[in-house]
Amino acid sequence: MLMLPELIVVVTAFALLVVDLLVSERRKPILPMIALAGIAAALVAAWMLPQSGQLLGGRFAVDSVSRWFRIIFLIAGGLTIAVSADSLNGRGAFRPAALSSRAEFCLILLFNLAGMLFLAGARDLVTLYVSLELATIPLFLLAAWRRDVESSEAGLKYVILGALGSAFLLYGLGVLYGLTGEMRLEAMSGALRAGPAFWLGVGMVVAGVGFKLTLVPFHLWAADVYQGAPTQVTAYLSVASKGAGLALLFHVLYRILAPLAPHWDGVIAVLAALTMTVGNFAAIVQKNIKRLMAFSAISQAGYLLLGFLGHDGAPGRGVAAMLFYLLVYVVTNLAAFAVIIWYSGETGREKIEDYRGLSKTHPLMALAMMVALFGLAGIPPLAGFVGKFFLFSVASKAGLHWLVGLAAINSTVSLYYYLGIVRRMYIEPAGAEDRAVRVSPMLATVLAITTLASVILGVVPVFFETISFQTADWLKGTLW
Amino acid sequence: MIEQLATMAPGPLHWLVLTALLFAIGTYGILTRRNAVGVLMAVELALNSGALNFVVFNRYVAPAGVDGQIMSIFVIAVAAAEVVVGMAIFVVLFRHRQTVDVTRMNRIRD
Repeated sequence: MLMLPELIVVVTAFALLVVDLLVSERRKPILPMIALAGIAAALVAAWMLPQSGQLLGGRFAVDSVSRWFRIIFLIAGGLTIAVSADSLNGRGAFRPAALSSRAEFCLILLFNLAGMLFLAGARDLVTLYVSLELATIPLFLLAAWRRDVESSEAGLKYVILGALGSAFLLYGLGVLYGLTGEMRLEAMSGALRAGPAFWLGVGMVVAGVGFKLTLVPFHLWAADVYQGAPTQVTAYLSVASKGAGLALLFHVLYRILAPLAPHWDGVIAVLAALTMTVGNFAAIVQKNIKRLMAFSAISQAGYLLLGFLGHDGAPGRGVAAMLFYLLVYVVTNLAAFAVIIWYSGETGREKIEDYRGLSKTHPLMALAMMVALFGLAGIPPLAGFVGKFFLFSVASKAGLHWLVGLAAINSTVSLYYYLGIVRRMYIEPAGAEDRAVRVSPMLATVLAITTLASVILGVVPVFFETISFQTADWLKGTLW
Repeated sequence: MIEQLATMAPGPLHWLVLTALLFAIGTYGILTRRNAVGVLMAVELALNSGALNFVVFNRYVAPAGVDGQIMSIFVIAVAAAEVVVGMAIFVVLFRHRQTVDVTRMNRIRD
């Protein structure tokens, strides 16, 4: 029963293949709907299931933190499929942006989603490694999905660097296994002793996680892959893959390295500072909007890292703040990407200057984009601000005031390039050839949901309180 | 000399030097090979050194269980999947560019 969400996702994936064979070409647009229904069912299952328990002799377990990771992954996957449905059904006006093979696209995305769900529940090295690879390898295929020069080049870069990252992670995990003789993550933590081999193993694991989570200095693949991949896949990479990286880092820090909790603050702080600063300053000079969103996503990973800080005072707060910001980031970033997907799908243009005058031709789309960008920058009433506030207060409670200052400066810098897009949409006049294009009902629905969520999550305090309350429960039960 | 080598049983240190060497050769290959297929082979070396690591540690650190050996089987399967995906992407790319030279992959730019 505890594995129900994962099983629903996998069964839906196989059902898609069968249905694809049976229905006629005219009826095929129901395929993304079946995938969506499966994800919705899995989401309900993940929500209703008990918050703790284990399976397979403790190799797979559910607790409140992995429950929230699963819910966030399912939301991200569902929104991605919803936002891709139009291009999968070939409805966009710009033909080259359409995605082929809709059943296979949904199938691979669902398998990837299942990998991430398994990753959240993994409790030993085999489960962890295999589910991590299931959450990574399908992404190489998705990045190369359009099969043109840019997309397949993005796939090549991703497959090589992703495999390199996974080799580092595997070697590091092997060293840690050798030092402890244990496969269970929690059992490993008890047997670890600091020493040269230990630091080698931890360093390689951190490098492997860094590739997945696009931490500076392991971020170099991200810009090219994000730009070359189909926009729907870029959206998915920037939220879901990042969430999987966080779940992996959570396992490494809070399970394998749990006894070291007071000592990792320095490393995490330096990584977070580097990641947010490099991401933000590199984003300023970008001209392609997908590339800009890539660097924006890198800097957001830096903010998310702040949630792993601080273990002297209230240990639960960091995890809750990180999960809450991840949820906020998923809906806000997908709102921004929904507009980008719609615009590049209808016109084929993805330069930032192409967005000039969008408020004249499409006032509502421009408004949604503006709300999403302000949310990413962290402007007060929006959820992005509230999430960042909690994360920064975690760093502040850990005594890292320089990091809080740096993060605040970084938020201001990020406002510069987010506002650059808003300025083009609202102040610059539309070009002579810019005219209104079609907005499909599906996209409008997704955009309405994500934009509303990115406001409501910040205004209504119950969401953060729920996450905070439940994860505090987890920390009391297991670690401290 | 030959007799001495033939009678010497390798210890954990020898095996670990072997895995470290394999990993180093793999990483070197990833950084220096220009053909993407060669890069993928180097990745295989690095992944296999990780798998071998698990088997070695299983034998010398935790001989009671077979956890490390099971892990190595999974690593082999995962590495095979990785290669299949990689080769599929390289074939698509080769159709467009007539090359898989990684130093010429510069079409994505700002």
